[in-house]
Amino acid sequence: MKVAVFTPMPPERSGIADYSALLLPALRARSEVAVVKRGAKKPPRGTDLCVYHVGNNPEAHGWIVEALRRTPGLVVLHDFVLHHLVAGLTIGRRDGHGYLDAMEREGGVVGRLLGHAVLDKRIPPLWENRPEDFHLAGEVLGLATGLIVHSHYVHDRARAAGYAGPIWIVPHPAFPVPAVPSVEVAGEPLFGTFGNVNASKRVPQLLEAFARVRRGHPGSGLLLVGAASPGFDLDRRLQRLGLDDAGLVREGFVDEQRLWALMRACDVHLNLRSPTMGETSGTAIRALALGKPLVVSDVGWFSELPGDVALKVPVDDDEVATLVAALTLLATRPDVRAAMGAAALDLARREHDLDRVADRYVSAFEQSAGGAAVSDDVLRDVSRAAAEVGIEPGSVEASDIATRLGEVGLGG
Amino acid sequence: MCRPQVPFSYGGAEIFTDMLVEELRERGHEAEIVSVPFKWYPGTRVLTQAFTWRLLDLTESDGRPIDMVVATKFPSYVVRHPEKRVWLVHQFRQAYELDRTALGQFGESPEDRAVRRKVQELDRVALGEASRLFATSGNVAGRLERSTGLVAEVLPHPAQALDYHDEGHGDFILSVNRLDRAKRVDMLIEAAALQPSLEVVVVGEGPDAERLRSLARERGVDGRVRFVGRVDRDELAHLYATCFASFYAPVDEDFGLGPYESFLSGKPVITATDAGGPLDVVHDGSTGRVVAPEPTAVAAAAVWLRDHRDEAVAYGRAGQAIAAEVTWDRAIGRLLS
Repeated sequence: MKVAVFTPMPPERSGIADYSALLLPALRARSEVAVVKRGAKKPPRGTDLCVYHVGNNPEAHGWIVEALRRTPGLVVLHDFVLHHLVAGLTIGRRDGHGYLDAMEREGGVVGRLLGHAVLDKRIPPLWENRPEDFHLAGEVLGLATGLIVHSHYVHDRARAAGYAGPIWIVPHPAFPVPAVPSVEVAGEPLFGTFGNVNASKRVPQLLEAFARVRRGHPGSGLLLVGAASPGFDLDRRLQRLGLDDAGLVREGFVDEQRLWALMRACDVHLNLRSPTMGETSGTAIRALALGKPLVVSDVGWFSELPGDVALKVPVDDDEVATLVAALTLLATRPDVRAAMGAAALDLARREHDLDRVADRYVSAFEQSAGGAAVSDDVLRDVSRAAAEVGIEPGSVEASDIATRLGEVGLGG
Repeated sequence: MCRPQVPFSYGGAEIFTDMLVEELRERGHEAEIVSVPFKWYPGTRVLTQAFTWRLLDLTESDGRPIDMVVATKFPSYVVRHPEKRVWLVHQFRQAYELDRTALGQFGESPEDRAVRRKVQELDRVALGEASRLFATSGNVAGRLERSTGLVAEVLPHPAQALDYHDEGHGDFILSVNRLDRAKRVDMLIEAAALQPSLEVVVVGEGPDAERLRSLARERGVDGRVRFVGRVDRDELAHLYATCFASFYAPVDEDFGLGPYESFLSGKPVITATDAGGPLDVVHDGSTGRVVAPEPTAVAAAAVWLRDHRDEAVAYGRAGQAIAAEVTWDRAIGRLLS
């Protein structure tokens, strides 16, 4: 069986490119998988199944959606909210009507009117302010013959959006931990957060919480690693919050080796997020593989992490207070940190094992490529037998047979 | 008792279910075998044949409730019942560990691959419905857990009733098995060729019989390797009683009654490291010898057991203690509890 995979690949700077680079060798060991050249619109001749990795970044995934439009196939939906992607594919290409159509498909007339307001610059871009209210995943869902998702959260949202095709939930694979020594970073304990530094990573709330924690634990440190998003000025944020930068260690974008070394140095990892686009966090997966305790926002995929691995902070009016309580607990209880770290490592080995993930991927490939034909065959065989003994379509007996078929996954 | 039946074929699973029904009846239960013919080819036939089980209504018989169904192997466990127990003999192995081997069934076409996945999905659903799930060996339970994530309790079943006894440390090694390639009786014949002092008795018939006899002739061991074909129960008990050990080393066997029969006669067993089910009870240096699956290793182990009478007797007794624990009373007690 030949599988063509449309995905960004390194050296593109994208979490999904890293993800595919990690996964592809394991997939190739199990199936005949070819990566399609960037920009290609069609799969190679003889392809049995096209697999499209779709994320929210139009630069990385625009060409993939264009190929999907020509040849529907199995979509690996890395983010559920695709507003930014759709905006890039429409407004970004001077196709305002395309954007309005997408908004209308999802939000009806109100959606279209809001789209007009965005185009007329009467309101700020919705993909920055309210992406969760208008996911704009409709077109991609409409073209997908099946979905691979990483969380129940995205599964449920796809179903809520009316997607009726098959969905496979396949966990994100754990990255192999390189033999990189930890670097010296001040802080006892050292909290760390990795990724773009911006408001949606709850950095203001984190800074405020950390300042309060530090009053009781002056030796503690907070490592902030990642490029600051445009418009997010950390110093001004600190100033506005009336905080100093005591205990704060800042690093910008770092390469993979440095990233692991810094992650290893941390005692506790924070992965705060709101709103969520339905994404799985590659840095959280790395933290699990390192056996580090996590503090996460209680949203999306993060909510699905087991309680013995992550402390979950609801995004509500008490967010900062809850965060303070979580950080204080972990600052004062090395035994809790150790137990959570051990549970994290166990989870990474159990659920996020690369071979296990690859097996589940290939299972989805095989079901996706041939499943419909097999179901048709079975239904034809059973229907013929039923008809031969006078069981009419629509009869109680036929309905019973259909129920039984559905129970064991042989329904259409 | 639900069991699929490949018409005109009667093997270990059939013997097992017949025995179980008999034992249940002896304990006052009303037990009956429900059998549906099984044909697993071509294409999607394996699925439609499996689905036949789903349409059966075994909740009542003639107005009387059926309290429990016990299913044994694929696809009988697709049956529906509020009290479905599964005593798993094996899954449809072509969809699992035999896939992409010479014994596999599914090709590389998308349809073949998808049929295989549907079988796996069917297993997950049908076995997942069981109120209790047993497997005849650790090997079967391990395969099940690896393939579906379902955990089964290991419940071996007793060997057939024979007049088991021990007439002492004999001068030959015994093989009791169906003669097909997967049972690897050829390894024992090759071992005999390597060790001119080794005497072998081979019990059983099967599709590989002629090849094995030819092999024995080619190796010049047909005088020392005696093929006795099928034997009656008394003769079988006598052979077990008079050998010094038995050889039982199929490839990745589901369960394997051979070691239990050997142990009940006080005789140790030689098996291979990749034999599967037998490894639950054959432990190297304790109840027998577990060796690499190659004739030189088998030959060395056989000669060692023959020449170390005290150890061989001790291993046989240790095995006997294990086999004596596996009784129908205990097995049925767990099955029905």
